[in-house]
Amino acid sequence: MPEITEIIGITREVAWLPWAVTYFFLIGLSVGAFALSLPHYAFGRPGWARIGRLGLLGALAAGLAAPVALLADLHQPGRFWHFYAYPNPSSWMAWGAFFIPTYLGGLFLYAWMALRPALAEDAAARGWLAPLYRLLGGPARPGLLRGFALLAAVGAALVLLYTGMEVMVVRARPLWNTPFLPVQFALTAFAGAAGFLLVLDRLTEGHEPAAEAKLNRLLAGLLLVSLAVGAAWFALGALGLEATHAAALASVRGHHSFQALALWGQAAVLAAILLALLRPAGSGWLTGLVALHAAWMFRWAVFIGGQSVPKTGPGFYDYHLPMGPSGLLGILGSMGLLVFLLVLLDALMPPARSRAAIAGATGKA
Amino acid sequence: MAGSRRALLAGLASAWAGTAAEAAAPAPAPQLGPRWGMVVDLARCIGCQACTVSCIMENAVPPDSLRTIVNTYEVTKDGVVGMAMLPRLCNHCADAPCLPVCPVGATFQRADGIVVVDSDRCVGCAYCVQACPYDARFINHETNKADKCTFCAHRVDAGLLPACVESCVGGARIFGDLNDPHSTVRQRLDAEPSAVLKPEAGTQPRVFYLHLDPLLSGKVEGTPTLWRPQHEGA
Ligand code: SF4
Ligand code: SF4
Repeated sequence: MPEITEIIGITREVAWLPWAVTYFFLIGLSVGAFALSLPHYAFGRPGWARIGRLGLLGALAAGLAAPVALLADLHQPGRFWHFYAYPNPSSWMAWGAFFIPTYLGGLFLYAWMALRPALAEDAAARGWLAPLYRLLGGPARPGLLRGFALLAAVGAALVLLYTGMEVMVVRARPLWNTPFLPVQFALTAFAGAAGFLLVLDRLTEGHEPAAEAKLNRLLAGLLLVSLAVGAAWFALGALGLEATHAAALASVRGHHSFQALALWGQAAVLAAILLALLRPAGSGWLTGLVALHAAWMFRWAVFIGGQSVPKTGPGFYDYHLPMGPSGLLGILGSMGLLVFLLVLLDALMPPARSRAAIAGATGKA
Repeated sequence: MAGSRRALLAGLASAWAGTAAEAAAPAPAPQLGPRWGMVVDLARCIGCQACTVSCIMENAVPPDSLRTIVNTYEVTKDGVVGMAMLPRLCNHCADAPCLPVCPVGATFQRADGIVVVDSDRCVGCAYCVQACPYDARFINHETNKADKCTFCAHRVDAGLLPACVESCVGGARIFGDLNDPHSTVRQRLDAEPSAVLKPEAGTQPRVFYLHLDPLLSGKVEGTPTLWRPQHEGA
């Protein structure tokens, strides 16, 4: 067996930065949260009111923060208009530039229709914002609400499709090039969104144990399916049943940090499933945070792990999280923006916590 | 223009006996105009990195990046230790996976086959960097746009050879028109077995190697180098 030692080689650094992880994380949360808002607002299902409002809140906040991270991942953010001026239809990314506004536009219109009656009712208590609430508020328009919900749902499906396909089609990165990847992105997005709502349920006023239990059961189901798909991915590769999966697995063989991450993720998810099933009411903080963590780490492992596999050379490229905007600062900034948007929207969205607090919060904002 | 290039290169041709080709070199395309390509005669490469340096100087490549480099390997076979050189660069693939992914069409292929980036249009999304199976692309930290070997298109258009070819001490890098039956690249490819990197990727590279050890044609498995230059942070 010949032995090869690389004497002179180069490192190609990560080109999709943690901004990309952040974008995929946030847009996935938004789409998942939007889906969870539908039973209440679009279908009028009883018992989903709390989840509906949290879903709308989460979908709007994460949906607004996501494009910021996406723009930041462009090395020429000022040229984003090129996406619309010179679209290349053979690129999934080019389609994404149209799918994102379709989804977000649909989401905003849907949110407006969903909140329209409550906005009108709330106007009197909104001080100097009352004219705005009166302008936006009004009687319910169920037809429009469903129409916009459909538009947002189509947009959401297209966003899930393009985000998955964009990464999956990259044959040069075996870890990405498996048909399971879009499914895994979607499943972890929905599980992450259930976790997001569990955390929001505790962060915002009006915690409901029944909603928490419902979300926890949903979360356990989604995490179980994610684990099963992950196990199938592994089995297809390990048993050599399917070529792309075998190549994906082989590409990270010996990649210790990737393996540690994968094992850690599985263990955390298993613990969250057990906790969610055994204590559906009361464990939301923990299960929610674990689900968010798992959704983040899955994307981190795919993007940063995938890019640390050299395409031509042996071994792996090292990755050290930079402290600045392209690393830690960028991640913290995005999460700060998300929290800010959550606080702001929570204060603005009816039903509100206390009128006095809202007047103060919006006055400052 | 092509004639002068041929004259320059003519002396480099040598008569290597041909055995089975690992990847049949494509026949000249029945089209007008040149299709530029490169033949790298690995038996002549001494690993001096003159090409690496001249490329950096010619193309103002930032200190932390490279458009071309001579990968150098120590290969032990049957107890015999030897050195293997492998100059790497953009392959100007005939079916280049970096092209369709570009969301704004900034990466394109000229009629003469050279794959280039329109830097006025590139948004720096790095999708092409991901899609290239050869790690040939990178984001230039000075321009914040995709960067890669252009076969020195600016020099070729002026009737000059790429800087790496001109500076190659061993005469290992041979550049020319694959469509021209009299070009050195064409004649060497017709006369000798040649191979491309990662033929299974289906990219149809237009950089051909003579005397390429199949061990090195794909993703090389072995012990990675301890030191790799890397941009700290971004
Ligand atoms: S080597 Fe890479 S960058 Fe060059 S043409 Fe082929 S795919 Fe594109
Ligand atoms: S980095 Fe530039 S050339 Fe590469 S895909 Fe993006 S826009 Fe196209």
